[in-house]
Amino acid sequence: MIITVEGLHKSFGKLEVLKGIDCEVAEGEVLCVIGPSGSGKSTLLRCLNFLESFKEGQVTIGGHNLTGAKTNLNAVRRDVGMVFQSFNVFPHMKVIDNIMLAPMKVGKVSRADARARGMALLEKVGLTNKADVFPSTLSGGQMQRVAIARALAMEPTVMLFDEPTSALDPETVGDVLDVMKKLAEEGMTMVVVTHEMGFAREVADRVLFMDAGLIVEEGTPAEIFESPQHGRTQAFLSKLL
Amino acid sequence: MDFIQYLPPLLRGAGLTLVICAAAGVLGSLIGIVLGTAKASPSWIARVISSIYINFIRGVPILIILLFTYFALPLMLPALTFSRGFTAVVGLSVYSGAYMAEIVRGGIQAVPKGQSEAAEALGMHYFVRLRYVIFPQAMKIAVPPGIGFLIALVKASSLVSVIGFVDLTRAGRIVTTINQEPLVTFLIVGALYFVISYPISLLGTWYERKLA
Repeated sequence: MIITVEGLHKSFGKLEVLKGIDCEVAEGEVLCVIGPSGSGKSTLLRCLNFLESFKEGQVTIGGHNLTGAKTNLNAVRRDVGMVFQSFNVFPHMKVIDNIMLAPMKVGKVSRADARARGMALLEKVGLTNKADVFPSTLSGGQMQRVAIARALAMEPTVMLFDEPTSALDPETVGDVLDVMKKLAEEGMTMVVVTHEMGFAREVADRVLFMDAGLIVEEGTPAEIFESPQHGRTQAFLSKLL
Repeated sequence: MDFIQYLPPLLRGAGLTLVICAAAGVLGSLIGIVLGTAKASPSWIARVISSIYINFIRGVPILIILLFTYFALPLMLPALTFSRGFTAVVGLSVYSGAYMAEIVRGGIQAVPKGQSEAAEALGMHYFVRLRYVIFPQAMKIAVPPGIGFLIALVKASSLVSVIGFVDLTRAGRIVTTINQEPLVTFLIVGALYFVISYPISLLGTWYERKLA
């Protein structure tokens, strides 16, 4: 298992957002997390690379125990890539520099190698002609693809996606999902918080349905979408589909 | 009217004002960058130390800082006896540093949190994030208010005349005691202050246009 979560509890002040999460993700698996707003899906995802800290529970990812005494969080984050809903592309750097920054400054990769890696990744996401422009000239979908390439530049073993298409207009959503599909086919371990049920159905190996801080139901896409067992799952899906 | 003979001392005063403002502007900015970053840092002790400095200096009139540095410090420690010019630069720098610190801190905190999170998620250590991601963006935000402060500094620098430093204001006052022509003299002094501060505002406008 490349990710294991045991008894994860997370509170923001008095508000308990994660009330005891247990789950596992195998290598090469694509796990989609769905659920209503406020269910704790994003919080769970952000706990996986410790962007949100937690005091109760244990998370092991890519061989690192997040709350272990000797764990270097920066080392963990080199192995775990993250893509955000609001892209968070660096606006003051060209697209290629966005992708090259972390490998050079964190991974100690040479400029030439970083550039080669960056151009290869831009080709993978279909944006080689945008290498030397600034992100402000790009559309949302293009920015998100740059963000994916940027995360992949660190050669992570796991990729986390936090509602990657929620801020995109419907036309560009497809371009980003295609990139994610390709990644999944190549065997990347992915955890995706999403409202794109079509994507989850087509690409996920397993789906988790979360509500009010707990995992209500989990199973294969067929199980969850075609025969949900739990009342809450059925109610959520009936509103969406 | 034979006013031409009074121009050289006024121009010399203007030159000295320019020099001390440039020096204090640079030093104050450096102090401001260090303290502003400290105040915005996750380190509790850095925040406390920088806050003490900033709050103390901002709570005291600049004139008091100048008078204290020139008259009181040598009484506390004879080694701290400075010339008027040095006192002027030190006093103005210390003062500027406190205000610049708040401008820098504001700039850093105005950078969207997502930028820091993305950099963190890429495995970047705090100082790496700060240097390559946060700072460049923070400085862009901080430049307009920084320029505004530098313009204010030029005018605040007229206070150094009180410790006897012959800046533009003091030169103007000395000249009027000789030529008994306060109207013309102070009009020229005002014009010279304008000549010094206007280019700074133009620099600010140029910079903001460059960003757009």
